[in-house]
Amino acid sequence: MKVHTQPGNCRPDQHDSRRNFLKGTIVTAAGAVVPNWGALVHSQTIAAEAKRLGKRCIMLYMEGGVSQIDTFDMKPGRPTAGPFRPIKTNVDGIQVCEYLPKMARHADKLAIIRSMKTKSVDHGIGGYHMHTCYPQSERVPHPEIGAMIAKYCDNPESDLPSFVKMGASGNYGAGYLGPKYDPFVLGTDGRLPGFTNPSVKPEVQERRGELLKFMEDQHAKVHQARPFASVREAELRTIRLMRARAAFDVNEEWEKARERYGDTHFGRGCFTAVKLAEAGVSFVEVGQWGYDSHNDNFSCHKSLLGRLDPAWSSLLEDLQVRGLLQDTLVVWTSEFGRTPLINSQAGRDHYGRAWTVVFAGGGIRGGQHYGASDKDGFDVAENPVSEGDYFATIYSALGMNHRKKHFLGTRPIWATPEGSKPIKQLLG
Amino acid sequence: MEKKEQTPEATGPFADAKVLYTLPWSREAITDVAFIGNERVAAANKRGEILVWNLSALDDKTTDPARLLSGHTNEINRLLVTPDGKTLISVSSDHTVRYWDALSEQGETGKVVLNGIERKGVVPLNAKPPEAPEPIEATVVVQKPLRELTGHREWVHGLAQTPDGKTLVTGDDEGVVIVWDRVAGTERRRWQGNFWVRALGVSPDGKTVAASEYFSHRHPEKEKDSYRSFRFWDVETGEPKLDCSEEIKDTMTAIRYSADGKWLAVCVGDSGKEKPPGKVMLLDPETGKVILDLEPPHLLGATDLAFHPDGKHLFSSGRDQLVKIWRLEDGKHVRDLGTAKERGDWISGISISPDGRLLAAADMKGQVVVYSLMAT
Repeated sequence: MKVHTQPGNCRPDQHDSRRNFLKGTIVTAAGAVVPNWGALVHSQTIAAEAKRLGKRCIMLYMEGGVSQIDTFDMKPGRPTAGPFRPIKTNVDGIQVCEYLPKMARHADKLAIIRSMKTKSVDHGIGGYHMHTCYPQSERVPHPEIGAMIAKYCDNPESDLPSFVKMGASGNYGAGYLGPKYDPFVLGTDGRLPGFTNPSVKPEVQERRGELLKFMEDQHAKVHQARPFASVREAELRTIRLMRARAAFDVNEEWEKARERYGDTHFGRGCFTAVKLAEAGVSFVEVGQWGYDSHNDNFSCHKSLLGRLDPAWSSLLEDLQVRGLLQDTLVVWTSEFGRTPLINSQAGRDHYGRAWTVVFAGGGIRGGQHYGASDKDGFDVAENPVSEGDYFATIYSALGMNHRKKHFLGTRPIWATPEGSKPIKQLLG
Repeated sequence: MEKKEQTPEATGPFADAKVLYTLPWSREAITDVAFIGNERVAAANKRGEILVWNLSALDDKTTDPARLLSGHTNEINRLLVTPDGKTLISVSSDHTVRYWDALSEQGETGKVVLNGIERKGVVPLNAKPPEAPEPIEATVVVQKPLRELTGHREWVHGLAQTPDGKTLVTGDDEGVVIVWDRVAGTERRRWQGNFWVRALGVSPDGKTVAASEYFSHRHPEKEKDSYRSFRFWDVETGEPKLDCSEEIKDTMTAIRYSADGKWLAVCVGDSGKEKPPGKVMLLDPETGKVILDLEPPHLLGATDLAFHPDGKHLFSSGRDQLVKIWRLEDGKHVRDLGTAKERGDWISGISISPDGRLLAAADMKGQVVVYSLMAT
């Protein structure tokens, strides 16, 4: 895993070099570095493209493996059905679980893929695969989706981090894209870590920046290692975050939104995600913890869906009201689905043969199903969707090239594996 | 609080307990069981079906049920039989409470499937779906419910009655508790709690309902919005009169008053994991304080409770596949029925025959095991 931090392993136009890194800074009259976080990670071409795209993504990640049969691919009357019942939605032919009544009113925005067929069905490897598009490998550190979207959709003029995570969903890192794209991780309820409260005045911070730059320059003359840039990057991110922390302060507005979103960590996380999207953050991931229901699957899902429903539906409503939904792709996903068969502990186990993810918003044509599982949900009956197809669809919806080539040393790596295809039927 | 852990005796009460019948019904997980008199056993499943076996008709060649009680459209969560033995009452996730004629043998003849896809403890990752087996059918009398009470709008798990059979209490996942005139089937009182009422008990005088509520039992330390309560409600006013939520913070799965009102037993541990274990406790019915914390607890969550008609013993069941027998006088662990398993098919419900000679235990794998508790 060291290879992605070694200097000289990639061409400058393929990976961020120290020169690119410094291009992204602005030197003040006093000589202090005032880093522009976004610009640090962009060539001018990419920055222009990002401005043109103006796209964002919010990922709602159901940690532990959410059950497709108990949410969006119900099997009423079948032995695999379980106790939940389907309800109608605002789209004829689409039914959802009775414990998603608010989401039922947003079905016209949803593209429901019921034919996910994935290979990594344990938590670590599943989380990695569904975050990076690739199976976990010792040799290649793939970046997670948030890092990739941050790289290509970031607003270069924003002080905010471009990739924010909150809640439980694992942290798979920026991989070969480098530490600049690592996620900025908030508390489970979307609150900033305590260290972001500045302990010194801005002018003191600025002097420290000058000293740090001097030290860095001296050191860099004889040391070319990328870890050095990584340390510097962390410093810059912190400074910038302190300046932009007001965007994370949703306390006042949360008081008014609390009832709609649900007074839960996940609810507050979703509200914060809307605010961050509005402020220009390219990728926000909000995790909801606890779907790994090998026993008591139905109590588990009932309680979690009760929190998911108001939060997710309010997020869609607020994005729409603020005019953001058309440019904000909302992805509801997990590391895998759960078995159709109910085990003898009232649980459902890990399952990748046929499960469900949902898209909404930017770049997506809502009000439709794609693919299908068989009558009991054991296997995909039509239009199987691989991890690669899923990622290709996301990247395409955001206006990105899903076959974008990067280099790890001289080795080419694509954003999605060969053969991955976006689902055109879903793209608006 | 006092803890009691002692070595079971080789002799003494229930030392001769043995399995009398094993009644297979693997169509679905069985959720509860109830004796109808001393000769009949009813069991309910997650498909919403109830089967009744006439024990006197069983022998080495047949374990077929006699009747299918059909009407529920979702999981049946609890069963009880009125003290006169004439009415079976069920509560379900179809939001209804149903009365059934417990004794009638009349009805249309029909078939019931007794087996289904084998449910394993944990399915291997991405395993291919199992093949459905050839159906094993039995001929039964099919019966409909006598009455349907529709006062709930959510899953109904809480079910209890007074010893005189005049008062029935039910509780649901909206936090609603309803006190019914059992004979008339009319509501006498209802109140609104906060979250899921999955266990409740009514005092023998019908004046107090002890109810446990919870929401999200899974790793509460990770979510600020988990909720648990254990409160005593005044039936006359519909108001809480005692809050013992600080006393017991685990999720309760059964609450039972003894018929004489001297004991209030609760069991906890709605979890398939070792912690918290399936504790069984005896409480002061007036104060809700823990008098005895019975040891050793079930390895996994405890699921059900039953007082023995002798007034001296309490039985509990658990996810560890055990039925535990406790002496009320001092909380001594008398003995276990079954073999403990840390990852098994938990026993979901137990019932003791009115004469105290038999015990039935239903499990999630899909069988009812009837024990003889006394030497014959």
